[in-house]
Amino acid sequence: MKPLMLQGHERSITQIKYNRDGDLLFSASKDQKPNVWYSLNGERLGTYNGHNGAVWCVDVDWTSTKLITGSGDMTTKLWDVQHGVPLASIKTASSVRTCNFSYSGNQAAYSTDRAMGQNCEIFIIDVRTVDASLSHQDSTLRIPVLQSKVTAMQWGTLDETIITGHENGQITLWDLRTGKEINAVNDHTSQINDMQLSKDGTMFVTASKDTTAKLFDSDSLMCLKTYKTERPVNSASVSPILDHVVLGGGQDAMEVTTTSARAGKFDSLFFHLIYEEEFARLKGHFGPINSLCFHPDGRSYATGGEDGFVRVQAFDNSYFEYVFE
Amino acid sequence: MPAIDDIKSSWADEVELDQGELPAPSEIIENGHKIVTEYKYNNDDKKIKVVRTYKITKRAVPKVIAERKTWAKFGDSEHDKPGPNSHTTMVAEDVYMQFLSSKEEEKANDNILDQIKNIGKCRICSGEHWSAHCPFKGTVMDTSKLMESKPAVPAAVPAETSKSGKYIPPFLKDSQKGGTGMRGRDDTAAIRISNLSESITESDLEELVKKIGQHSKMYLARDKNTGLCKGFAYVHFKQRKDAAAAIEILNGHGYDHLILNVEWSKPQNN
Repeated sequence: MKPLMLQGHERSITQIKYNRDGDLLFSASKDQKPNVWYSLNGERLGTYNGHNGAVWCVDVDWTSTKLITGSGDMTTKLWDVQHGVPLASIKTASSVRTCNFSYSGNQAAYSTDRAMGQNCEIFIIDVRTVDASLSHQDSTLRIPVLQSKVTAMQWGTLDETIITGHENGQITLWDLRTGKEINAVNDHTSQINDMQLSKDGTMFVTASKDTTAKLFDSDSLMCLKTYKTERPVNSASVSPILDHVVLGGGQDAMEVTTTSARAGKFDSLFFHLIYEEEFARLKGHFGPINSLCFHPDGRSYATGGEDGFVRVQAFDNSYFEYVFE
Repeated sequence: MPAIDDIKSSWADEVELDQGELPAPSEIIENGHKIVTEYKYNNDDKKIKVVRTYKITKRAVPKVIAERKTWAKFGDSEHDKPGPNSHTTMVAEDVYMQFLSSKEEEKANDNILDQIKNIGKCRICSGEHWSAHCPFKGTVMDTSKLMESKPAVPAAVPAETSKSGKYIPPFLKDSQKGGTGMRGRDDTAAIRISNLSESITESDLEELVKKIGQHSKMYLARDKNTGLCKGFAYVHFKQRKDAAAAIEILNGHGYDHLILNVEWSKPQNN
């Protein structure tokens, strides 16, 4: 299948996400307008206009009615997915780096940067009561993070925990009932760029600047597998139907001009989940891949790059017929 | 006398101008295909016709997805027509997944090994027999033992750095000199091979010396213009005994109808 190239952003893509049904694809970029697309034909449904800074993160709840975005303009916004209007804009003390809806969609978490004399903090909000009057004081829980700042986040099992990945490579599990740290591991040696849960949520895959991606158990934070590459990994995703992991990455943006796209550093790498071995790669972007994810049906995947494009690539039969030896 | 201003444009351009406005874009739906025809000017101000054909397909989807399909567009896409807007949605070139088959890699490795075996046949004394039967077979070990027992050969083999292909910044050269002195450096295990044939390549050379021992670097002198070998090469072994063995074995060895001359790399005359 020919890939679809979605050109809705003027700057590099920061995060892309499918909704639960996989019919919508949300993309956030360093320009100020997150976009939503029909994943099937690449038609743009709309843009969420209202932020005044780079949008670092985006997430949609499981009913595809609410969207949360976090931005460098020191707000996190909740949106009506259908109409593209903001439901609430929550002011923060520094820019918002990560945001996630819980599995139930009743709560959302977002984290702020350590900047301008502010500590990194994690906020939990109840989105059922959300309206335009919501401000940061209304969060149900506030966890100050005194160590290295949070750069990636996921909700843990039963919405009782959250898992954060940090700038120094640490991964921490937090109990939301007490607001205390339960467990922390230091398998990675450099910044965690992305964390994505497997389909059943029992495992998650991390992407780190230390050129590896690792598979962790969601409850014990035990490192199960390591996928080694020769480049910083910006994003990793687990296939929902096959034992495959896809990794995307590339050099830092500042080093990109010295690299030819032909060097193959901007390919998506497909690894076998269990054997930790790379078995295929796929070209596409002419810059590093910043974010990627599998379609929930596992038959296509999408990548967002530093080059500002989002590519939706359906897999050919050769991918499904491939047998790992 | 006509002024230059009078000559506005060539007749070809005027014909274009006469037609004035672009024809309106049209959309035809037939046989399950939507054909969109647009007219626009390209970079050379020439009118071009753009025809896009879309296939209309029907899919059975869950209710929620079907409902979302009917949503009105909003934000920057508010004024877009139904269907993909060609400004934001493009179909890219087909790219194919490259599978890294581990089997093929193994095969390739086997081939390389076979080649080495074949070379090994006549490598030691260039005789037409297996190396296992070569009368000189033991000499490698013997010479290397000899080398160890002998007092160190007058080393004084200076830096080869300027001759080897790699550029080494001056400050590094200095630190090498100051740090380790003249002896005990890698260069003491360097040999010079001369009377090489013109057609020899780096890989040939590598095959030639691979059998003897590990080398850290090699330099094959090439003519700047023709790219052909100038007839000599330098090989830096990791171990001095390997270099000694190489001299023992390769000196006088016939290669490509020429008899090689192998000696210790000599100091460069400054």
